[in-house]
Amino acid sequence: MKTDLDSATQRIDKAVLGGRILHRLTAAAQAAVLIVSFFFGLFLAPAAPAYAQGSVPTPQEIVAYALTLEKLEAEFYRRAIEAATSGGLASAPQVAKDAIRSYGEDEMQHVADLSTVLTSLGGNPSSVTIPANPNFNAILQRDPFANPADFLLAGQYVEDLGVAAYKGQATNLQAAGDAAKTVLAGALEIHSVEARHAAGIRYLRQVLLNADVRPWIRDPKEVIYQELRPDNPIPFGSEAFDGFATMEEVLALVGPILQPAQQSSSRSSQSAMRTQTPVRALW
Amino acid sequence: MSRIKGSASRRTLLKWGLCGLGAAALTTVPKLVTAQGNIFGVKALTFNADDVGILNFALLLEELEAAFYAAVVQSGKITNPTELDYMRTLGAHEAEHVTFLRGVLGANATFATNQLSFNKPGLNAVLQDRETILNTAVSLEDTGVHAYNGAGPSLKNPTYLLAAGSIVSVEGRHAVGARALLQRPATELPSERKVSDAELVPELNPFKDRAYDELYTPKQIVAIVSSLNLLNNPITGALVA
Repeated sequence: MKTDLDSATQRIDKAVLGGRILHRLTAAAQAAVLIVSFFFGLFLAPAAPAYAQGSVPTPQEIVAYALTLEKLEAEFYRRAIEAATSGGLASAPQVAKDAIRSYGEDEMQHVADLSTVLTSLGGNPSSVTIPANPNFNAILQRDPFANPADFLLAGQYVEDLGVAAYKGQATNLQAAGDAAKTVLAGALEIHSVEARHAAGIRYLRQVLLNADVRPWIRDPKEVIYQELRPDNPIPFGSEAFDGFATMEEVLALVGPILQPAQQSSSRSSQSAMRTQTPVRALW
Repeated sequence: MSRIKGSASRRTLLKWGLCGLGAAALTTVPKLVTAQGNIFGVKALTFNADDVGILNFALLLEELEAAFYAAVVQSGKITNPTELDYMRTLGAHEAEHVTFLRGVLGANATFATNQLSFNKPGLNAVLQDRETILNTAVSLEDTGVHAYNGAGPSLKNPTYLLAAGSIVSVEGRHAVGARALLQRPATELPSERKVSDAELVPELNPFKDRAYDELYTPKQIVAIVSSLNLLNNPITGALVA
């Protein structure tokens, strides 16, 4: 059994950790150029030269990555709150508006606290930026704030991805040893709350929209990341086990959102970008 | 219950070299103690402060949850179809977690399912009506989240950590499902927590309150579980000291 476990662990090391190499970002992720160049910069920074390319990200890099995702989520909910006041979500039931407000507050808290952690690790939270007007249309290929049904579907994709993104960094933080133990603890504290958000949105879709969905993931096709990992000993194919996503995979998925949304006058360039890297095409 | 029925989990167990070990556990109903207070001969559960001890501790929580949901379904007190669907599904997930953990632990499992002795009056008390049942489900699931989070930084084996992460987010989803049935918010209010800010281990809880699921120690988890009065087995060992 020991031997089996050891070899299983090695397989995971190869399959999972090995997949997290930022410099392997392929052409498919070119739209993530903003954030990629940001992380590339980190790799070249004198502070983190020891393992350079082909190694697991440092705690500082992981926190910067998490902060990027949290800033996106916070902005996503800020836009939803706007739409719930005087836009496409004004007609949403109060229970959905309450969830939007509550989850948005959580994400803002995550941004504030991760910023403090990043500073304590020698990073600069204000250099972790997202566009003033992220292209959230990339999630569904249409305005996710136009009506409650689209918003809740987009929110489900975003939150499920957030859960998988945090899960994907747990072993990287573990690999950083005791020095990163508190960072790992903080990441775990957030990880399960993202799962609560995802489940809350899924429940709203079930009861408000009669969608064929539950708070848990019943089918790998419900999520936009790769849920099944055939080489992994954990049965991610079961609905009782949630999957993970590597940093590389998550960045490829959020890359199109990190492109500033085009003005309506430049519709052609926007559709060109969609053709190049449609988020929707990845599931 | 299972997204890919059978084949994935069987293949998984084969990978661990443990096919068949967990299969029997699913159908074994924990033995109930019939006479109140009869703890003579009840096995003490000992948990060491290492990965095996942590996995055994997780197994105990999953066994408790699985037994609870099985009893809930059997009680007939949940009649709303959505609520009954949730109770059945949560029970099925917990049973899968039991099977998985027993598969991983193999001969290192320190107790068998039928060595758990459930407190019948305690169990009856939490099964008395729909509200008590659903609130108990919330308590068990929230506690499970805090327990798995608390175990994470202590685990040495990365596969175990990833597995714990894979399970804890599902427990969080369960908590929200049960909470939603009671119109309780998805995230836990500080006033709902069974461990106060002052009692939290500071280095394991850099963040606190509603936007976070704090890390509880195994000892704190044992105190919560004991207060539910569901289990007769004494719980000992360095992990919970």
